[in-house]
This record gives sequence, structure tokens and C-alpha cells, in this order.
Amino acid sequence: MEQFFTLPYFILEVPHMKIKKPSWVKQPSAMTMFSIVLASYFLVTGGIIYDVIVEPPSVGSTTDEHGHSRPVAFMPYRVNGQYIMEGLASSFLFSMGGLGFIVLDHIHNTNTPKLNRLLITAVGFICVTVSFFTTWIFMRMKLPGYLQS
Amino acid sequence: MVQAGSKKSSVSKINTKAGISSLIIFVVLLLAWIAGFSSRLFAVIRFESIIHEFDPWFNYRATAYMVKHGFYNFLNWFDERAWYPLGRIVGGTVYPGLMLTSGSIHYILHLLHINVHIRDVCVFLAPVFSGLTAISTYFLTKELWSAGAGLFAACFIAIVPGYISRSVAGSYDNEGIAIFALQFTYFLWIKSVKTGSVFWAVAASLSYFYMVSAWGGYVFIINLIPLHVFVLLLMGRYSNRLFTSYTTFYILGLIFSMQIPFVGFQPIRTSEHMAAGGVFALLFAVGVLKYMQSMMSKSEFKSLVVFGGLISAAVVFLGVVLLTYAGYVAPWSGRFYSLWDTGYAKIHIPIIASVSEHQPTTWFSFFFDLHILVATFPAGLWYTIKNINDERVFVVLYALSAVYFAGVMVRLMLTLTPVVCILSGIAFSGLLELFLREDDSSRGEDSEEEEQSTPSKRLYDKAGKVPKMKHEQSRDTDNIGPNLRSIVTVVILLLLMLFAVHCTWVTSNAYSSPSIVLASYGSDGTRQILDDFREAYFWLSQNTADDARIMSWWDYGYQIAGMANRTTLVDNNTWNNSHIALVGKAMSSNESAAYEIMTALDVDYVLVIFGGVIGYSGDDINKFLWMVRIAEGEHPKDIRESDYFTEHGEFRVDAEGSPTLLNCLMYKLSYYRFGELKLDYRSPAGFDRTRNAVIGHKDFQLTYLEEAYTTEHWLVRVYRVKKPDEFNRPRIPIANRIVKSSNYITKKNIKRKKGTIKNKPLVVKGKRLSSKQ
Repeated sequence: MEQFFTLPYFILEVPHMKIKKPSWVKQPSAMTMFSIVLASYFLVTGGIIYDVIVEPPSVGSTTDEHGHSRPVAFMPYRVNGQYIMEGLASSFLFSMGGLGFIVLDHIHNTNTPKLNRLLITAVGFICVTVSFFTTWIFMRMKLPGYLQS
Repeated sequence: MVQAGSKKSSVSKINTKAGISSLIIFVVLLLAWIAGFSSRLFAVIRFESIIHEFDPWFNYRATAYMVKHGFYNFLNWFDERAWYPLGRIVGGTVYPGLMLTSGSIHYILHLLHINVHIRDVCVFLAPVFSGLTAISTYFLTKELWSAGAGLFAACFIAIVPGYISRSVAGSYDNEGIAIFALQFTYFLWIKSVKTGSVFWAVAASLSYFYMVSAWGGYVFIINLIPLHVFVLLLMGRYSNRLFTSYTTFYILGLIFSMQIPFVGFQPIRTSEHMAAGGVFALLFAVGVLKYMQSMMSKSEFKSLVVFGGLISAAVVFLGVVLLTYAGYVAPWSGRFYSLWDTGYAKIHIPIIASVSEHQPTTWFSFFFDLHILVATFPAGLWYTIKNINDERVFVVLYALSAVYFAGVMVRLMLTLTPVVCILSGIAFSGLLELFLREDDSSRGEDSEEEEQSTPSKRLYDKAGKVPKMKHEQSRDTDNIGPNLRSIVTVVILLLLMLFAVHCTWVTSNAYSSPSIVLASYGSDGTRQILDDFREAYFWLSQNTADDARIMSWWDYGYQIAGMANRTTLVDNNTWNNSHIALVGKAMSSNESAAYEIMTALDVDYVLVIFGGVIGYSGDDINKFLWMVRIAEGEHPKDIRESDYFTEHGEFRVDAEGSPTLLNCLMYKLSYYRFGELKLDYRSPAGFDRTRNAVIGHKDFQLTYLEEAYTTEHWLVRVYRVKKPDEFNRPRIPIANRIVKSSNYITKKNIKRKKGTIKNKPLVVKGKRLSSKQ
């Protein structure tokens, strides 16, 4: 048995060197993993892949009745089309809502002072509601008649 | 299991607590099933029990064939009515799970003397399976987190639009049952990893077999599970349980999946499946090493690992490369490749890029299909990453891969939806557990799981009782903590209620249109049904020869075969790109060039969809550029996309449009006689409502074709291809003409004329007149 796996070392000379695992290679902590995931989630929900493939302008423009061209942030009526900025704005809101929910979870830490808990709850709460209602408004801009007919 | 638990609770009072909780679980799952089923019925109630869209028509036709002729005839079915003149071997090119499922339901119902038409089985299959999906999601989430989270996830997936979009009544497609199979396989896999028992692993591979028979998306499973194993190995979480479950699952799953004729030897011959085999080998290597480690000294082990590891890695790598090079292992298919290199499809495979559901996803779709869940998804992910264990690694990987794929294709939103529901269930359950705990602490310490399932479920399902909850909780709160807690709770419940409203609205407005029957609403709310598609298909089935060959763009192939029962040249099973390109070339060349192609292909009728009269945007002119692109891919000398644009690079049909466009066959067939049509008093004659333009080329005649039929709203136009003797006949002077005396008697005699007016009372002479006259 022993001959078997020491056999190549009769021919080969084992070099005298030490390969150390670099100090930065280690299993990433849960929080780094989560931040990476959240960042990629932010990009994907913002339609970054759409932006890469279709290459839309960052902000659209339209001409009003006087002949002036005005910027338009949202591509209206087009369900499967978007401008880059509107995608990023709304995915920012999605992530903010998600972070709000996560912040809300922090109040179960019993050793935080009461005021901090209150603040944490308020921040999480505001994040969630603001993101939700702003997204709602975005939907209205994108799809007039949303939840109405 | 649930049912048994609920029965037990009513019988014995030994363990009332467990009884009540399982009764609650049972009731919630039942309600989720009912809610999911009924919210999918919008289309049936508004229109009728009808098969939707395109692909379902083929599935329905195949199912009907299988029910009529038996399973073995179905497997050997050579369909000569598709892909004329090639035909299609249906049994070998179809995932038969869907047909078998509905066929066996039909069979069982008939055994019980419940005589249901196979069409109704097909229509209601997807809504019924949505309930099963909800239940398997419950079990999966329960394994991952807790029963309360499971109930949330089940309720979410029952009504979430991302899943409803593919499973409304009438949408008889593979995905409807495949999502159930997907979730159930994952549940069994998690179970087998947890227990390490062969039983669960075998069950997982059986469920995987069902999934393979149902949908091509099984590739997702056979890559995700090895990925799970691989990541567990990387994290140093190797265990004998993992070894048992994966080896059992892989071997059995491999053999089972090769039983499907359409899959055949793909699992050992294509690159998509190679990762699973590699992980299988790796797992064995790790297992052997772990075993050796227990028998050797450290230095010996080290040299063995270095030496053996390098050699084996090199051997495996070289082996795969050689096999691929020699052609035993097929490289990645184009569809799969387009998932990684996102620009690939746009450049190389226009036929994939042309399908609207293969477009990349915008932010709108994420919110539209998932609503509040899109924000709770990261929160759920955070919970799982924070408390990681073997099976939660799986859900994290599932989430990551699904998010990426959903970003690449709108269609793969479907695989994202279940994992979003699971993670949101976890998030909501975690949050509510937190915010409702203080109320419960006064009542005494309960077990954690009880608390989770009971309040969260009750609050969720009776969203209408939200105000009452608020009063209950805010009454006896004096310090700021509980007060704030109750506000947050109420807001969370409000969000859930808005989620339900959103889901219902989206289902009703966006996903419940059969798309072969169109409805338009007038300003006063009256509904007008546009039934032009079925009108045209019925005309074809009644007025054309049985073996007539009909050329249309491939979108309508399945519908023509399913409803008109006529031979088509191309259909939605886009397996032969050059044949489609030939049809595209015929549509985009001028009339005489197209006639050559059409005679070569034995075409008798040409069918085009034209939406200019009613403003229907999904018509052939709007799809026309794809025909040109696909034709250009195969015939770059004859067709050039740039010819169809104006000098400014615009695609327009009015007088400024490019002359090539204005003379191509598709343009002529769409706008033949349209220049004479004045739609209303304000717009000029020949005004196209879809493209908001007056057409550029109005007065033209067709040489090689003649109009055969145009439906009421001009939506479908059918043309007959003239035979060569019909259009180049020499003109005979009038004096030389011989007119056959015909003994043709007009059918419009007095009796028949009356029948042409609807609802006119029949007057019989000699009798009293009816009251209206």
C-alpha cells in the first residue's frame, strides 16, 4: 500500500517549498455573502441585463406641443421596455424595501436600548412604506389605469 | 398526513394542541387551493372553456389523439399535417408527461362514469395543479424553515401572478404541471439530504422522472442539485447522508430520465448534463479520500491528495475535452448558451430572440409578477444566510441562479417565482413571529412553532379582519414598544392585503385573455367579442380540401392544425430553422419570387394576420422584421434587412416606406383592398390603426394569388394561391368564347332570403301576424 502512493516520489523529487493558503482565501462570512447577493439582486431587478442587450437610453425624451423637448423618465405603456434610470430607481426601491424588512428584524436584539429599538423600528418601517408607495406611483406612471379598471 | 392529523384531533382529545395546529394547516392549504383555483377561472367565466394561445393547442391536439388512439399509437404518431413536406415524429419530439397526466385523469373519471370531455380536463388541469404546487411548496418550506413559513409560502404561490401567468384555466402548457414537479422534487431532495435515507432519494428521483417527462426545464434541477452538492463540499459539509442521497438520486435519475424518448441519450451525451456526472465523480473522490484519511498518517495523506487529485483532475478534464472533440458529447445547445452569453441569441439565433417571452426582463416585470414579494425576498434570503445549514444552502443557490435566469428571460420568471414565495414566507413568518411575540408572552410560553403557524396564518387568510386586529392589540398597550409593534403588524398585514388585491387585478386584466378570442370594451362598458381567429379557422376547415396546405407564419401553425385541421408548413415547434427561413423569405420577397417558393412548397392557401382595422398590435406586419431577419440568416443574398427600412432607418408602411417593403408579399396580402376601406369619417381611406399611418401603396392587384376569405374585422385574411393555368391563360376573343349553358339554379329563393336576417319573425301566409308587425 505504501509503495503504491510513494512510487512517483522515487522518480520525482519533492521540492522544498511551502505553499501557504493566501490569507484572503477563506470562507466568506455570512454578511459579505449577503451583501454580494443583495448587490447582484439590485442589478438584476433593475433590468441590467435588459440594458446590456437592448441598450436603451438612460432617460427618454419627448417633444411637447410647443416643440420643446422634455426628458421623460418612464417609458409609458411599454411593459417590456424601460430606460436605464427608471430601472435603477425602482430596483433601488426594491432593495430599500428589503433592507427595511431586515432592519425591522433587528429589534429582537434584547440588549439594544429602548430608544435604539424605537429608532430601528421607525427606520425599517419608513423604508418599507416609502419603497412600497413609491413603487406604486412608478407603476401608475408606467401603466396608467393600474388597479383602477 | 395533514388530513390524518385533523381527523385524529376530532376523535381523540389526547393531544389537542397538535390536532388544532394540523387542522389549521389543513384548512389553510385547502383554502389556498380553492383561492388559487378560483382566481385562475377569469378566462373561463368571461369567455368560455377554451384552450388558449398557441402551444396549448398542440398539447390539446396531442392529448386528444392519445385519448382516441391509445398511448402506444401516440408514441408512434407520425404527424404528416405539420412541417409539410417533412412531417413530424410527434412521439419522439414531445414531453409526454402533460398528455399522460390529463389522459389518465380523463381515464379515471370515465372509469367512475363521470363523462368529462377531454377538453375540459385540459382546460382545468393547470388550476388544479396549482393547488398541488401550493402544497408541495408548503412541505418544502416546512423542511427549510418552519410550518408557519410554509403556510405563508403556500398562500403566496397560490395567487402570485408570476405563476398564474402560466397556469390560468385554458393555458394547457407544460409549465402548469412542471412547477409542481419542480417543487416536489426539491422537497424530496431536501428531505433525503436531511435524513440520508435511500427511500427519500428514490422518491426524489421518481419525482425527477415525472419532471423530465413534463418539461425541458428539468435541466435546471439536474444542474442545481449537483451545484448544491458541490457547494456543500466546498464548505466542508461532506457527510454520509449527502453521499447516499446524491449517488442514489443521480444514478436512478439518470436511468429514469433516459426513458423519455425525447430525452434519450442526452443525459450522458450533452454538456448540460455533464456537471451532474462530474459532481458524482467528485463526491466519490471525496468519499474515498475521507475513508483513506482515517487509515493514513497525515503526510502520507497529503502526498496522496496532491498526487491523486492532480492526476484525476487532469484525466477527467482531458476526457471531457476529448469526448466533446470526438463528438460523443455535444457542446452546449444554442438555447442554453444564450443564458450565459446574453448577446448570443440576438446575433446568432434570431428565431429564439424573436419570441417575446425570450426577451430580457425589465424592472416592471419583477414588480408586476411578484409585487411585495420582490422586497421581502432579500429579507428571507438574509434570514436563511444568517442561520445557514445544509438545506438552506440549497435554497440560497436556488434563489441566486433563479434570479439571474429570470433577468435574462422574461419566461424564466416562472422558475424564480416559487423560490421568491418560499423566501418571502420565511421573511413574513420571521417578522410576524417577532412582532406578535409580546402579546403571546403574557399568555405564557408556547412552543415556537405553534406560535408561528397559528397567528400568522389566521392573520393572513382573513385579511378583511385587519381593523379588528388593530383594536384588539392597541387597547391594552400603554408603553411605546407594543404600540409600535402593533402598528408595524397592521402595516405588514395591509401590505399583504394589497398584495392579494394586486394579484387579483393582474390576473384579471393581464393574464386571463385567451388570445384567440379578443374582447374590446366600448366607452359605455359594453363588451364586444372579436372571434375572427376561430371564424377563419372554421372557414378553412369547411371550405378547403382536406389535404390543403396552408402557409402562415409559424406562430399560427399549431392553431391551424388544432382548429382547422389542415396541413401547415411551419409551426411553433421551431425545430427546423431553414424551413422557417424559407417561409420568411416567401413572405418578404415580391409576389413573383414568392410564387416560385410557394409552388415549390405546394402551398394552396396563405394566411396572414392583419390588425390594422381594429388596432390589434400583434399582427404579422409588426412581426415582419423578424421574418426578414430569419430569412436573412439563411438567404443573405436575396433578403437584406436594410432594404426594408427607409433612408433614416425607420420601419414605416406609409408612402415614405422603402419600396422593397411596399412590394413584398406580406405587405400586399395585408393591405390588399385596404386602400378602399374608410374606417370612419375622420380618418382618410386606408388608415392603419395599429401603426397610425395611411398606407403607402393603395391600388394594386394580385397576380398570383386571390383573396379567398377575410374575416369580419379583417383580422385574418386567407388567400388562395393560383395554379399556373389560372393567371397566364391567353385571352380569347369574345366571338370565340364558348359559354357553357349551366343549369345552375340560384339558391337565393324566397325562403332562403328570409333566413339571412337574424331574429326576423317568420311570417306564414294565412296565419295571424305576430305582434311586432
